[in-house]
Amino acid sequence: MLRIESLSITLEEFSVRDVSLEIPRGEYFIILGPTGAGKTVLLETIAGIHTPGSGRIFLGDREITSTEPRSRKIGMLYQDYMLFPHLTVEENIAFGLRQRKLPTEEQHAVVNEMCSFLEIDHLTGRYPRSLSGGEQQRVALARALVLRPEILLLDEPLSALDSQTREWLRRELSRVQKLTGMTIIQITHHLDDVFALADRIAIMHEGRIVQLGKTPEVFLHPADTFVAGFLSIGNIIRGNSSRSGNLSRIIPDSGPEFSAASGIAGEVVAPLHAEDVILSQEPFASSARNCLLGTISEIIPLGSTVRVILDVGFLLTALLTRESCHELQLEPGSRVYATFKASAVHAIPVNTE
Amino acid sequence: MRKISLAITLILFFVISATLLGLILYSPLPVLAGSFLNPEIQFAILLSLITSVVSTLICIAIAILVAYALSRYEFFGKRVVTLALTPLLTFPPLVAGIALLLFFGTTPWGRALDQAGFSVIFTPLGIVVAEVFVNIPFMIRILRSAFTAINPRYENVAKTLGCTETGAFLQVTLPMARHGLLAGTVTTWSKTMGEFGAVLMLAGATTMRTETLPIALYLNISAGELNIAVAAATILILISLAVLCAVEHFDRGVHVF
Repeated sequence: MLRIESLSITLEEFSVRDVSLEIPRGEYFIILGPTGAGKTVLLETIAGIHTPGSGRIFLGDREITSTEPRSRKIGMLYQDYMLFPHLTVEENIAFGLRQRKLPTEEQHAVVNEMCSFLEIDHLTGRYPRSLSGGEQQRVALARALVLRPEILLLDEPLSALDSQTREWLRRELSRVQKLTGMTIIQITHHLDDVFALADRIAIMHEGRIVQLGKTPEVFLHPADTFVAGFLSIGNIIRGNSSRSGNLSRIIPDSGPEFSAASGIAGEVVAPLHAEDVILSQEPFASSARNCLLGTISEIIPLGSTVRVILDVGFLLTALLTRESCHELQLEPGSRVYATFKASAVHAIPVNTE
Repeated sequence: MRKISLAITLILFFVISATLLGLILYSPLPVLAGSFLNPEIQFAILLSLITSVVSTLICIAIAILVAYALSRYEFFGKRVVTLALTPLLTFPPLVAGIALLLFFGTTPWGRALDQAGFSVIFTPLGIVVAEVFVNIPFMIRILRSAFTAINPRYENVAKTLGCTETGAFLQVTLPMARHGLLAGTVTTWSKTMGEFGAVLMLAGATTMRTETLPIALYLNISAGELNIAVAAATILILISLAVLCAVEHFDRGVHVF
């Protein structure tokens, strides 16, 4: 278990402020946040690269706040691999073993085993500059894994890769974590990483963790408008909420009122995922409590999906497949019904933003 | 533009080549060979080699640490230190030599060093001091650029892999800066071999005592011994060319030309 207590550190323009975390052994933990949120500083402080201004870090029962990086049993991978260019792949992977003064034969055996595991046997004699991005990242992974760290820190390890390699390496990371049972803490900007890998996620903003929880919880119940916006939830509707039984009636600043699941009264913002908005030519009978008539103002193709923006009195975004868009014969100016469940709307009081 | 730039390049090449060849070919070969056997020239060669190698090694040792500190750490007075090094890059060596002469000859610190046995004025030790003083800013500048170009994250990774801070520097950063180190070494060594002004001011021009090759050239020109002066100049040119060619040949990462 990694335990962080009230960790704070400032490095030039980056800072981490009062971060507390508990990450159980074997968890795949993902940190999300905009550039400059302090994610990398947090990871580097866990690795021991920076000494925190205040707070403590524990690995199990052992306090490691002031322990040198080499004694922490924590491995680290960066987005840009950081393979030592003057060493071959084999020498790079054996680098940590050499520091531990492992006999040369044993080094060879461990390196060979790791190379087989990550399918990079054929690369051992080459220099990093001759490898592709995916190959370099696998070598960097091998270099960290041969030391059998208790925690592996990954700073956007897949960001510089093409989508195919990223998908492949994502599966590799999942496989490695399942086989080794090690704790992995990863920084990413890709929601695909979150959905494929994360047990829990933390959202960082301006040096603080603003939300922490299991992935569905965070996506379904963003703590504030920043989280909702950052997670690309699609719709954040501002208005006034009044209780109506177990539900709330939300009256937007402009446009028709609608129902939300949360029983909050007062000024609110209501995040609604674009995926939760269903479009139809006619109103249809369903359990959904909200059905609003609107005019399509814009259709934005996004590969296999299409983002449709319609004016229902306020702007509402729906995300649907290209096929659905075609079948419904949607085009700018046409009138459609937007249906969404009250349970899909999570009103957040404005004063907690 | 293409024609003009190529023409100017060729003219420059011709002028440089003709000037150097004119110097090397000035003395007939037997006379030149005889000059090489002159005890004064042999002394000058040996003294130049010893002082330039010692000076270069001292420059490397100090410049590595200073350049690393300037490239990696933020500390009080960093800007002042950087500014203090900059004028030395442009000062005429004669000015640096006078400053050194005054420091070692007139200040209490200089006299204290002299009394402690560190006597530099008009001694061979003065040659080394002058060469180091004049050339170390260049070495620091080259190495600082080399270290700054290396992402500190390489060291971070090395530390997580088991290195101490010094180990990460020695095993990762320094090997990665080897091209800069080699370029700096070659540049510094060539400049120390040819150092004249500062050496003349601090170590003087005493025959067979502080007589490096440039000093030998100066003394013999002054005395009208043109053949010996040309021999000294030829040796300086040949040594420099040989080293620069060797570096170009053996290390493709370094382009000193």
